[in-house]
Amino acid sequence: MAEQPSLWDQPAAEDSAPAPPRASPRILRVTDLNRRVRSLLDADAVLADVWVEGEVSQPSFPPSGHCFFTLKDANSQVRAALFREELARAVVRPEHGMNVIIHGRVRAYEPQGVYQLYVESLTPAGAGDLHSRYEALRKQLAAAGLFEDGRKRPIPRWPRRIGVVTSPVGAVWRDINNVLRRRYPLVELVLSPSVVQGATAAPAIVRALQRLYAQRDLDTIILARGGGSLEDLWSFNDERVVRAVADAPVPIIVGVGHESDVTLADFAADLRAPTPSAAAELATPDATQLATILGRLRDRATAALLGRADERRSFIDAEGRALGRLAPDIGAARQRTADLLDRGARALDDRMERRRALLAATHDALRTLSPAATLERGYAVARGADGRILRDASATRAGDPLQVILARGTVESRVEGTRADDAEELFR
Amino acid sequence: MIDEAALAVLTDDELAKHPFDELVVALQQAVQRLEGGSTGLEESIELYKQGLRLHAACEKRLREAELAITELGRRGVTGAEPSAEG
Repeated sequence: MAEQPSLWDQPAAEDSAPAPPRASPRILRVTDLNRRVRSLLDADAVLADVWVEGEVSQPSFPPSGHCFFTLKDANSQVRAALFREELARAVVRPEHGMNVIIHGRVRAYEPQGVYQLYVESLTPAGAGDLHSRYEALRKQLAAAGLFEDGRKRPIPRWPRRIGVVTSPVGAVWRDINNVLRRRYPLVELVLSPSVVQGATAAPAIVRALQRLYAQRDLDTIILARGGGSLEDLWSFNDERVVRAVADAPVPIIVGVGHESDVTLADFAADLRAPTPSAAAELATPDATQLATILGRLRDRATAALLGRADERRSFIDAEGRALGRLAPDIGAARQRTADLLDRGARALDDRMERRRALLAATHDALRTLSPAATLERGYAVARGADGRILRDASATRAGDPLQVILARGTVESRVEGTRADDAEELFR
Repeated sequence: MIDEAALAVLTDDELAKHPFDELVVALQQAVQRLEGGSTGLEESIELYKQGLRLHAACEKRLREAELAITELGRRGVTGAEPSAEG
């Protein structure tokens, strides 16, 4: 449809133009009329940001993904539109007869000439409002024992595989990845993706958890979602989700929203983390600290070994001292040895002395036996011409030279004659 | 678990294949035995050597580790599909 100049859209232009003569009533086109009404409604500050309580009637869900229904009270009704995006975020799906509080704005829908309530958020109203439903469910599940401390299991200290249920798009998954990459990259992450917001989130989270529960060898599970309004986080207060968390076969950490957000799923978890990043931290040891711990272990080993060596050394020292105490007294031994030596020497000296005395005696004896002493006693020695000592007179003949050796001097002579006298008889 | 006897025959490569937490536990045990004081000097030295090996293996794993990620529901990944719920 070609856009035509409209008096209603351009009041300024109209004012500046000369007023036409009022010959006939102004004929508006329907489009112009509806646009005029829309402008009026859009200009109203109250209608642009309105809270309305009423009962949902005849909701329809066409293939477009939007939802249309009538909101009414005892006397009046108004048409309402809940578009796909808002529907996905809504805590509850509009149902016929449901009392709700709607936050939204009122606008005219020009093609049909109607005004509608465009819903931004929709929450159950009255006794069924979020807070009281939260409280009621909390009491019910607490009474069922789902939140008891005795059910809480310790988180494995050295996980090898960690299952994660969260939205694969967005900051939360990225944060968890970053934390673990920095903190404990030794772990394997198993992502079970899920929608975590809107009316379809609760059953999706339950399915995602159950996919993980079917996995073997998971040490820990993390259920995480970023922060948001109570409505945004509502699926974590859904009884199905809370019970699924309580059913986890391995320890489960729930990290939803920011620190102030506590959902019923948090209560049912083995450990509640204030944020998704904190959940990743609580699920793992810190590699930096690990390096320190490892270093400390090595130091302890070194210290223990050195200690052992020291022990050995002091043991050896002590043994050495003990040996010293037990050993014979070397000083005394030395003294004894010295004494012995002295005695030996003295004994030797004595013996030498005796030897010397004996020697002297022997010398005297020898002297008495020497020819000189014999000669002194008056004997003589006769030597023949050949210089040999004569013992037999028959060895010489008359005229032979004869040397007669006396105690003092020698007589040179010649043989006159010989006789065969017996010396024995001669000196008898 | 890696006990002392196993440790004595494992090569460094074989050691590197053990889960990190088992390496740490083995290291802790070696240190505790060393500190316990019931081992002789020879055995203490052997324990210390194995402790150093374990320490080096742990550090290497920490240095070289890369976060592994599996996504369920993707092709080639075993595990129940959403339709298999219940």
